[in-house]
Formats: sequence, C-alpha cells, structure tokens
Amino acid sequence: MDLASFDSGLLQATIARALGRGGDFAEVYVEDRESLGLRLEDGRIEQTSGGREVGAAVRLLSGERTYYAFSDALDEAGLTAAADAVAAAVRAGDGGSAVVELGAVRSELGRHPVRVPPDTVAISRKAALVRAGDEAARAAGAEIVQATVGYGDTRQRVLIANSLGELVFDDRTRTRFTAQVVARRGDIIQTGHETVGGSAGFELVDEATACAVAGSAAEKARIMLDSRPAPVGAMPVVMANGFGGTLFHEACGHGLEADAISKGASIYAGKMGKIVAAANVSAYDDGSLTNGWGSQAFDDEGVPTQKTLVIDQGRLTGYLYDRLRARQMGAAPTGNGRRQSFRHVPIPRMTTTYIAPGDADAADIIAATPRGFYAKSLAGGQVEPASGSFVFGVAEGYLIEGGRLTTPLRGATLIGNGIDILMKIDMIAGDFDVKTGVCGKDGQGVPVGTGQATLRIAEMTVGGTG
Amino acid sequence: MFDIVDSVLERALALGVREVEVYAERSTSRRIKVFGQEVEQLTAAQRRGVGVRVFADGAVGHAYGSDLSDAGLDEIVRRAADHAAVSDADEFAALPEPGGEPADVHPFDERLAATTDAQRIELALALESAALAADPRIKTVEDAMYVDGDGEVFIASSAGVRGSYRANQCYAFAYVLAEQDGQVETGYSYAVGRALEDLDAEACGREAAERACRLLGATKCPSMKAPVVLDPFVAAAFFGVLSSALTADAVQKGRSLFAGREGHQVAGELLQLDDDGTLPDGLDSAPFDGEGTPCRRTPLIGGGVLQGFLYDTYTARKAGRGSTGNGLRGSYSGLPGVQPTNLVVSGPVTPLADIVAGIDHGVLVTDAVGVHSGANPISGEFSVGIAGVLIEGGRLTRPVHEVTLAGDIISMLTNIRALGDDARWVPGGSILTPSVVIDGMAIGGT
Repeated sequence: MDLASFDSGLLQATIARALGRGGDFAEVYVEDRESLGLRLEDGRIEQTSGGREVGAAVRLLSGERTYYAFSDALDEAGLTAAADAVAAAVRAGDGGSAVVELGAVRSELGRHPVRVPPDTVAISRKAALVRAGDEAARAAGAEIVQATVGYGDTRQRVLIANSLGELVFDDRTRTRFTAQVVARRGDIIQTGHETVGGSAGFELVDEATACAVAGSAAEKARIMLDSRPAPVGAMPVVMANGFGGTLFHEACGHGLEADAISKGASIYAGKMGKIVAAANVSAYDDGSLTNGWGSQAFDDEGVPTQKTLVIDQGRLTGYLYDRLRARQMGAAPTGNGRRQSFRHVPIPRMTTTYIAPGDADAADIIAATPRGFYAKSLAGGQVEPASGSFVFGVAEGYLIEGGRLTTPLRGATLIGNGIDILMKIDMIAGDFDVKTGVCGKDGQGVPVGTGQATLRIAEMTVGGTG
Repeated sequence: MFDIVDSVLERALALGVREVEVYAERSTSRRIKVFGQEVEQLTAAQRRGVGVRVFADGAVGHAYGSDLSDAGLDEIVRRAADHAAVSDADEFAALPEPGGEPADVHPFDERLAATTDAQRIELALALESAALAADPRIKTVEDAMYVDGDGEVFIASSAGVRGSYRANQCYAFAYVLAEQDGQVETGYSYAVGRALEDLDAEACGREAAERACRLLGATKCPSMKAPVVLDPFVAAAFFGVLSSALTADAVQKGRSLFAGREGHQVAGELLQLDDDGTLPDGLDSAPFDGEGTPCRRTPLIGGGVLQGFLYDTYTARKAGRGSTGNGLRGSYSGLPGVQPTNLVVSGPVTPLADIVAGIDHGVLVTDAVGVHSGANPISGEFSVGIAGVLIEGGRLTRPVHEVTLAGDIISMLTNIRALGDDARWVPGGSILTPSVVIDGMAIGGT
C-alpha cells in the first residue's frame, strides 16, 4: 500500500459520510507505521521485534464535542464503518457545514532530512551497534553488573484529509539509541541512563555515538555508587543543561497546553501578557527544529509545525493549541495537535520545549553558589497543571559546597510550583542542549525534546533521606 | 480468528520455521468523556492483529501486523524469521509447552456486552453531576469518564498450545479541581467492574470531590520522621512499583532488591501479598496468560517472609521450575513479559478510625505524585511528592501538600505495622489493597 497515492475519492466520501447527520468538521487520519526494536540485556540481544500497523481514524467535531472512531482496516468497509460510528453518535442536525473539495496533496518531504533510511540498513548492523554499546558500558569497570541497550527506528507515514479541503501527507522517520546501566558495590545498587534520538535516519547513531551513550550511562551509575543520601530542605538548585529541561517541561509546559487552559485547569489560564517568570527567562516550543526528536513537518492534524515564543522575558506570550482548542478560544492552531497513533484523539502537546540560553558561564553559576544542590540528570517527573505542583526525581545529583561540586547525592526529589520556580530563576548560562524523551498524557506517549542551558533556581525544596 | 492463526502457523512451517507461536486479538472499546453535562468526546474503537514469535535454536524473533491479507500475513512471518536471525541464542529460550487445563475463570459478562451508548453517557453525566453537587468549592470536573473494553484473544503454537477466551471490563474515573481563596487542589476516584450496573457513579463522583476538598487550605508541614497512613490509591501505586522487583526477570538480571532474599523477612509480619490471576472480580483475571499457561494464585510475601517470584516460561526454565502464568502481553504487537496479574494485599485489619486514633503525630497520605518516576525499583530508593492530612493527637487536623516522602522500599515494607479495613480495587495494574500504616517515614517539608 502506498499512502501517497491513496484514493482521495474514498477520503472525500468518508468525510461526507461522517458529516451526514450533523457536525461542523470532519477529518480522516490514515496511518502506516513500521517499527523495529532491538534490546540487549545480560549481554545478549534477547528481543528483536518489529512490525507494521496500518489503520485509519475518523473524527467529527460538533461545537465542543468530539466523536472519534478508528479501525485497523484500511479498506472502504473499514472507513465506512468508522464514518457511520461517528455520524451515529452526533446529535442530528447539529452544526452543518459544507464539505470543501479536497485540494492537492501538501507535503514538505525532506524538511527533516533522512540521509540513511533505516530500512535500507541490515538489521545485523543495528545489532552490532547495540553490542558495541554493551561492551562500552561494561568496559567502565567491574562494578558495572548490568546493561540494557536498545536501538529503535520507526517510519510513520500519515495522510490527513479534512472537510476544510486540506490534504496533507507526511513521512516521518525517527531513530533512537538508549542505554540503562546498573552498577553495584556490596548492597548499594545504582543506575545510570543516557539516550540519543532524532527525527532522522540511521546516520544519527554510529559506533562512536553508541559507545559514548552507553559509556555515559555507565559513568553516571558508577559515580552514584559513591553517593550519600540527599539532604532535605529548601536550598539553591542548579539545573544542568540538557536533561534539566524536564524542569520547564513539567513546571510550565504542560500548563501551557490549551486543553488545560480552556478548562481553567492551569495556573497559566488568564495570565496571557502577565509576568510568570523572572525577567531573564524566555522560552519556546519548537516543533520545526530541524531533525529534532520531537519535530515533524506537520502535526497530526495536518497543521505545519512552528516555533512558538511562549515566554518573552518573563511575560507569558503563547499557549500551545490543537485545532479544537484554537477554534474554541479564537486563536490560530500552533501545530501542537499530536496523537500517539490513529488509535488516539489528537490533543495539544509539546514538541521540543526549552528555556532560551543566557550569557552566564555554567562554571560561574556553580562558583556563585556557596551551598546548594546540583541536578545533573533528572529521572522524570509529573505535574498537576491545575495547581502547578510538580515533582521530579534526580538521577544524578551533587552537593555544592563553597562554590564547588562535592559529594554525589542519591534519592533526591525536587518539588515545587510552576510560576514560583520560574520567578526564582536568577542565572542562565549559554551551554544550551536538548535531550529526548517520551511524554505521557491522557494515556498517549509522544516523542518530545526538552532543553535548556545550565541555570540556577534561587530556592527550591529538595526531598531526600539524609 | 483461529482460521487466521492456523494459516499463520502453516505459513511459518512452510518457510522452514520449526518452533512458532501465533497470538491474535480482536477487540472493541468505548470511551466517553463528558464536560458541562455534554458529551465532550466519544471514541469507538476496533482493533485486530496478529503477533508471531519464532524460536530458531534458542534465538527469538517477533513480528506483528494488522494487515491480515495473504501478503500481510506472509510479511509478518518473514519478519519474525529475520528478527530471530539477529537475536542471540539462549539455551533456555524455547516454545512454551501446553500447561494443562486453563484456570476456571470467566472474565466476560453478557450484561456489559449489551450496554448501549445512551447508558454509558447517562453514567458519565451522573458521575459529573455527583462530583459537582458534592461541594460548592468544586470548581470544575476536569475528567468525568466512562471506559469499557471487550476483547477476544487466540493463541496456538507448533508445540500444541491452543486456546482462546473473551474478556470485558469497564471503569469510571473522575478528576476534579476544588478551589478556595485562590488555592486549587485536585482529587480523583475510580469505580471498576465487569458491568455498568457494578459502577456506583454517585459514590465515585462524591469521593473525588471529597478528596480534593479535604486538601483545601493545605500548607507545607515541618520536616519530620513519623508514621504515615497510605490510603488505598497511594498504597496501590507503591505496590505497583514494588511488583516489578518481584518478577523473576528482575531477579535473574540483577535488577531486583529482593534477589537472594527468598525465605527471609522482608516486610512487617502481618503482610500477605499474592498475585492471583483467577479472582472472579479481578480485572486482570484470565484462563491463561499470553503464552497459553494457566493463570493461578502465587504467594509472594506471607507473614512478611518473601515466598517467591513471578515467572513466565523463559525465566521459569532458567530457574529450573514451572511458569506461574505471568507471561503477559499488552497487545498483539507486544512480546510476553513477566508481569503481575491482580496483586492482592491482605492480612489482619484494623478499623481505619482506630489506626488514626493511635497516631500521635503523622500524616494520612491521600495523593502521591512521581511514584513511577521518583521510585527506583532497582535500588529500592524513592522520594515522592505527597499531599494529605496531618494526624495530631489521634485526630485528623489540617491538610498538607508539596511535601516529600522518602525512604527505601525494604525499610518501608519492614515498617508496615497495620492494615486498614478499607480494601478496594485500584485499576491501572489491578491491585486490591487496604490503607497501609508505616512507621518512621522521612517527610520533607519546611
């Protein structure tokens, strides 16, 4: 099957059928996704798995209501059944909008260049990378007792047609390499994690990269063997570049997603144009970042991705919209309507979200901190957008004493409240970096990038056991 | 779908594959969200697909697909064989053998299969109304949701495994925001069952509201070492994280803090923890697991002593024993992995009121954020954000939030000193647990 030459007459007919009893917007989302994953653990590649899933979803909007049906059958019968399911659910006579004839297919292939398509590379070469990663991790010392090394690539082709007459084709390739390493000394067990990924092809990971990623994970685990339990209490916190971006993702990003805003379930609701961060803080969500793990040419509603300024020198300037919320709130979509697959309703999601770099020097920030906590690598976090309360675990942390990093600290959690923390950012360095992750929301996981330079929060609560 | 399963077996054998297992699935589900007494979202889903696992002299290859045409099935088989060619061989990896009679479990209720969209919508609307009506301080019901699913699985292998069953379940979920003096607190609740009639929407909505409102006015509390009472929702989150360390997979790979502790005291003497895939009201009950092995009850902790681990076919072979029926699959696209079915926490119980009355200074924890990110199942260390109500002089006094709870899993289990009389099912892992009282926990506040 070739999505690029899919029968547009069938798409047109499905849209008309979905709108048959009522509703004011209909859309068909057709997806063809091929995935491959290799996983090495205990020194052997124990799982090689992959496959191809095709399916289609029909979405009907009527005012604020959404009706959604999907099926893994890509034929006329499957699309008809899905269209009938949404048409049966809508209140008859609601809405009513003319269906615009589908235009020519729009696409921006090559927007995120893929130099070496993963499906042109033998699986054995991917296996060799994973084995090289394992060797690099184990070479870090006898205390390394376990390494889990993974390689994955996906090619997702989507065709999105709607009653506005828009027809978009997108072809997305993503490649990722991950390592989790366990170190043990006596009864002490510590782990380290590192990853690289992008909207790019096999060129992203060569043997040197694989070894660097696995080596870095091993080093983190080994360092943490010497760690002491983290202290408890409020103190200055320096967040390292890269992984530290999870802070902004949790503390602020989720609260800027327009579904939380439209329900008043975000501390950022009603604060457009107001000060929500310190004056040195500017921040973006950028779904168009070239080859970014969270990037694609179009979002999953066929809207081109873009770079959105969300905070401008402390002032709130933008929310992240999908079509539905943009319509509800009288704004323009920002290319943030994303879905995990055809089995999921699109919702506002971040892409690559980051705090813009400043002009301080990372070393100077640490030197300017007599006593504090240095969070080098975060383990992941969670937020309640309604209250702004967030928490995240620190995978690799250090005590700052006399302006120097001293003891590694384990078991630390950082806890705080979005705006409160953003207002307390008092120093930002220029060493900007982006890390990759998978963000979960409403049961949907999507690839996201989080980034920042090294920065300091004047005071934050650290929860530990020491 | 046995015709498709058998056809895949034949294609694999024709390709020269000797050991092959085929797993097929077809399912439907409905998800309804209401907001402002209107249907905000209705999702109707159909899913079907096939997963194929091939063993080539101990090397495992897996492939899946949703294209069930001749060409699609051929491609799935070819990929599975290709994948086996790059995996490393392992002497313990081989096709599961037939494991005897399936468990006598019937996880399918005709009443749910006969449910209409109108009934589903009515339930979700009642849930939202109940939450809003429970307290004037409820600002919004962010999620009032009803979800059900109905699925049939089929498995067959060249070793002679063959079986199928149908299962359904439903749940309602409410997540509310309460507001007072500019402060917002959240609360949630679930109702789970195998028929719409089993779900008490009123009680679920009211409970979510109460859980949010009781936190209004919360402040941080001073740091302290004190007893905590984890309510069933919070206790379930901890037992969920803990359960991954009770799998033989974690033990054999050096990722379990319980490795080598079988027969040792790992928890307070009153604690009993079982995995039980045969409970009639357990959402994850089934006649057999994702490898065709019958489900059963497996004691994990008894009298506080570690009694054993959970096994699938591979980890059982490696340990020289039999599978416990815990080789579970998330869907046709996933490989079986060792996971709990229903986890059941039990032991002698104490009325919750008596528990609170017996605590001079402590915290009743009703919400924990970051349990999955802030708890490390390998080292056993955790540090999570919590909210709840302070216990002073045997009475619940004022709400607290934005404080941390930290420790390690083994000390936490060892310090369990009482269980409440309020056991309930918590979905998202299917765990049956009461409130759990733990001594000497580190609370980080001001």
